[in-house]
Amino acid sequence: MKIGIGSATACAAVLAGALLSGCSGDDGGVSADGTVRIVFWHGQTQIAQKALDGLVAEFNRTHPKIKVVSQSGGSTADQLLPKVTAALVSGSYPDISYIYGSDLASIARNRKVADLTSAVQAPGVDWNDFWPAARAAATVDGRVRAIPALTDNLAVIYNKKLFAEQKVAPPKPGWSWDDFRATAKALTDPSKGTYGTAWPIADGEDVTWRLWPLVWQQGGDIVTPDRRRSRFAGPEGVRGLTVWRDMSVADKSVYLDQDSAGARMGQLFNNGKMGMFVAGPWALADIGPAKIDYAVAPLPGFNGDNTTIGGPDNWVVMDKGSERRKAATEFLLWLTRPAQDLRWDLATGQLPLRASASRHPSYAAYQARWKLDVWIDNLPKMRTRPTLRAYPKLSQAVQEAIAAVLLGKMEPGPALDRAAKAADSALATEE
Amino acid sequence: MARPMKRALGETPAAWAFVLPATLLILGLSLLPMVWSLLLSFTDSDLVTSGRWVGMDNYERLLDDPAFRQSIRNTLIFTALYVPGSAGLGLLIAMALNRPRTKLIGIYRTCVIVPFVVSPAATGVLFAFICDARFGVANRILSAFGIPRQGFLEDPNTALYTLTGIGLWGGTGFCVIIFLAALQDIPPSLVEAARIDGAGRWNIFRHVTLPSVRPVTTFVVIWQSLVAMQLFDLVYATTRGGPLGSTAVVVYFIYNQAFKVFDAGYGAAAAYVLAVVLLALGGVRYLLTRARRRFA
Amino acid sequence: MKTAEEVRSGTSPSRTVAAPSRPRRRIDWSHVGLAPLALLFVLPLLWEVLASFMADAQINKYPPALVPDGIHLDGYRYVFTNTDFPRWFLNSVLVSLVSVVSNLVLCSLAAYGFARLRFRGSGVLFGLLVATIIIPFQLTMIPTFILMKNLGLADSLGALILPNLVSVFGVYLLRQFFLALPRDIEEAAIIDGCGRLQVLVRIVLPLARPALATLAALTFLTSWNDLTWPLIAISTDDNYTLQLGLTTFAGQHHTIWSAVMAGNVITTLPVLIVFLLTQRTFIQSLTSTAVKG
Repeated sequence: MKIGIGSATACAAVLAGALLSGCSGDDGGVSADGTVRIVFWHGQTQIAQKALDGLVAEFNRTHPKIKVVSQSGGSTADQLLPKVTAALVSGSYPDISYIYGSDLASIARNRKVADLTSAVQAPGVDWNDFWPAARAAATVDGRVRAIPALTDNLAVIYNKKLFAEQKVAPPKPGWSWDDFRATAKALTDPSKGTYGTAWPIADGEDVTWRLWPLVWQQGGDIVTPDRRRSRFAGPEGVRGLTVWRDMSVADKSVYLDQDSAGARMGQLFNNGKMGMFVAGPWALADIGPAKIDYAVAPLPGFNGDNTTIGGPDNWVVMDKGSERRKAATEFLLWLTRPAQDLRWDLATGQLPLRASASRHPSYAAYQARWKLDVWIDNLPKMRTRPTLRAYPKLSQAVQEAIAAVLLGKMEPGPALDRAAKAADSALATEE
Repeated sequence: MARPMKRALGETPAAWAFVLPATLLILGLSLLPMVWSLLLSFTDSDLVTSGRWVGMDNYERLLDDPAFRQSIRNTLIFTALYVPGSAGLGLLIAMALNRPRTKLIGIYRTCVIVPFVVSPAATGVLFAFICDARFGVANRILSAFGIPRQGFLEDPNTALYTLTGIGLWGGTGFCVIIFLAALQDIPPSLVEAARIDGAGRWNIFRHVTLPSVRPVTTFVVIWQSLVAMQLFDLVYATTRGGPLGSTAVVVYFIYNQAFKVFDAGYGAAAAYVLAVVLLALGGVRYLLTRARRRFA
Repeated sequence: MKTAEEVRSGTSPSRTVAAPSRPRRRIDWSHVGLAPLALLFVLPLLWEVLASFMADAQINKYPPALVPDGIHLDGYRYVFTNTDFPRWFLNSVLVSLVSVVSNLVLCSLAAYGFARLRFRGSGVLFGLLVATIIIPFQLTMIPTFILMKNLGLADSLGALILPNLVSVFGVYLLRQFFLALPRDIEEAAIIDGCGRLQVLVRIVLPLARPALATLAALTFLTSWNDLTWPLIAISTDDNYTLQLGLTTFAGQHHTIWSAVMAGNVITTLPVLIVFLLTQRTFIQSLTSTAVKG
């Protein structure tokens, strides 16, 4: 018995030592001849992955001193957060990872996430060529902590055939939310099972970010300028949410998508069961094969203000020693140069990150073919979420409010007030 | 039968040799994570940074958190329905299947365990299709019987019960498998002896079958309870806690806090509240068993 | 009064005295219950198999179709040509098989120790083991990952294998089964001078074959279907398991449904086969106890 306990204790001690011996990042990856090997978690699949692998291969070929090892990182972009968190905690993290825009402020609190402010000011980078919203989404507390990876924005994709069938006039530039409501109502036909439009209410930021344009268009904002208190529960937020509540509950023209990935509203649209789909260009990947005759209109507005929202995501560099950090930064800056940006966009259908790429002649044909004009026009003017550590909590609180209101269970005012309380207590912990 | 004391003591080194490998592995790999989680629950860490010590703050916050209370309520409802459901149904089906294999019985057996081997992700996809409120097969069948369409997973009032149904669909097979194995170990002659003595089916069940499978029944009930209280994968694959939090269970609450809103310390505190509840239940059961033995 | 051996052997004459008139009624009744249940259990999966033969165009339709309009192998083709499927399969097989073998050995040993051998602290120790699962894995996966990293196993198949070499479930399950077995034969063997290990291997394990088969099948299933832990532990594409590989069919905005369906069907098949195989051992053990003596 004594032997048993003795060996048990010894083993426990070894394991404890192993666990406590710290989370130091290993400095592997720099070989004797100076070649730096960096690990790149891109979180992309299918076409995007192939395109990225092609770009990585070219970089490796043209930069002999750096070898980028491209990995999906364990899965898709939306599953990456637990992985990155686990990676940071354990010290087993990559050099570069894809990070959702709304998560950047929280992740950047870790000092291992590199500060790229001086790197992006270097000559040849042309930081200002990136869209203002993309730059803002990569900046936390005045410091640039990421490089933009993807960007998109919201516009209204509509089914021309359905409009014709229901004898509804197509959207005109500068149209209002009242116009939108009337259009949606006219497009809704319970006997055919068609809806005017949709809103996802199940899970995630996709539920919340659609409200922000309505707030901004009336001069409101998500948080106060000092970012200490929320402002979305003000009259602007209430009015915006009320419009949609009326559409959903009174007109019944809104399909409430409860699929966890918000995939069903896309399916509805692709099967000709929905008139207007508020989405970004990502939706075209499925609309194309479904052969829907579509057109794109800007978001409706209040008082002639049609501001829309963009949701840029980022690449972050995680520090594994100065050589690897420099190599990773160099790779990212190369990846987002106009030439590569263009290549990426033409291969995957993503929107350009840079103004110069969007103006490039070879993009014009692509833009015309896929009817991307509205989204491209939105890019310089689109606004984005504030980079707040508390944003994920704020987003979830508002998501619950939106779901409750659109399902007809709560009034917009009280629902947003309740969300504001939760958001305020989250913001109070912001430094 | 008298057991010489010497024999019992002499067995102890052997006993340790038997249990040590498994024990070391299990404890070695779990104790430290459990301590880590406990310490985490006393901080405001978001995992990205280490956070400050906040003592019992997280626990106090949990008391006032309606989302947490809702998740506990949902978990308890699910458990209360799932455990007796899967165990009871499992035993009944196992008994019905416990006979020499004919082609039909063999087919039934296969059918019963099929749902159990399907992964949670695949189950989610399947039932999103079946329970679709507008076009799903489930509603089509209901309409054929004149029953009004249900919202299933899309209606806050029915989502949790729908989820329970899906859980039973997938989890009963587990109980069937285990009970089948246990029933196989009942000596057939015991049953025959009872029958010769004139016992009817019900009495055979009560006095031969049930007692023989008692240790396994205990295990199934306890294990299914643990599984039910720690439900996560199915919720993640289907409703993500919605609609309106009606299917948010405790582990989903924990996951959400730790990995979506960067409040891992808070999530860890919730995990320990759940753990304490489970321990308390286990303790109650232990005391009850001891009391029953004492007075048996 | 029958002796333990006669009871165990089942060769007593009563085996052939099955009342002939009863079974007919009993079978009818249970079929009424079993048939619809069986249908209920299997139909959803049947649809998945059907859906795996749909072309992408059909599977994206809404309302979704119940029956494919022909046999389309788009999904299967995608799985087998566009992906690293063979590698994923091999990884899953490797991890699962090691887990099964290791569990069978270690859990049997421990379960026997807890069930039959009396030693001080056995109750406490067993309680401690069961108590380790009261903290959900969603939380402990992070420190477990740290542990793997410090053992040099991060992002390797070893990280998938090590935590699954033995399970509380296995120990608990086998212990209950062993407890339910009559002690008579074991004690007879001990009196005859057999060591405990011999008793376990020669007497208890053969009797507990249904339990062992069950444990093997369930361990295989758990390992095969595990997604949460590989998601955290594995980053390199070469080390993907099947479940992890399946997630790549769903991108951020676009899902290849035909591949998802085909992938799910292909992934479910091996486990189903394992279960069917282990079910056979149940029958064998039923007849084999007849010869044990």
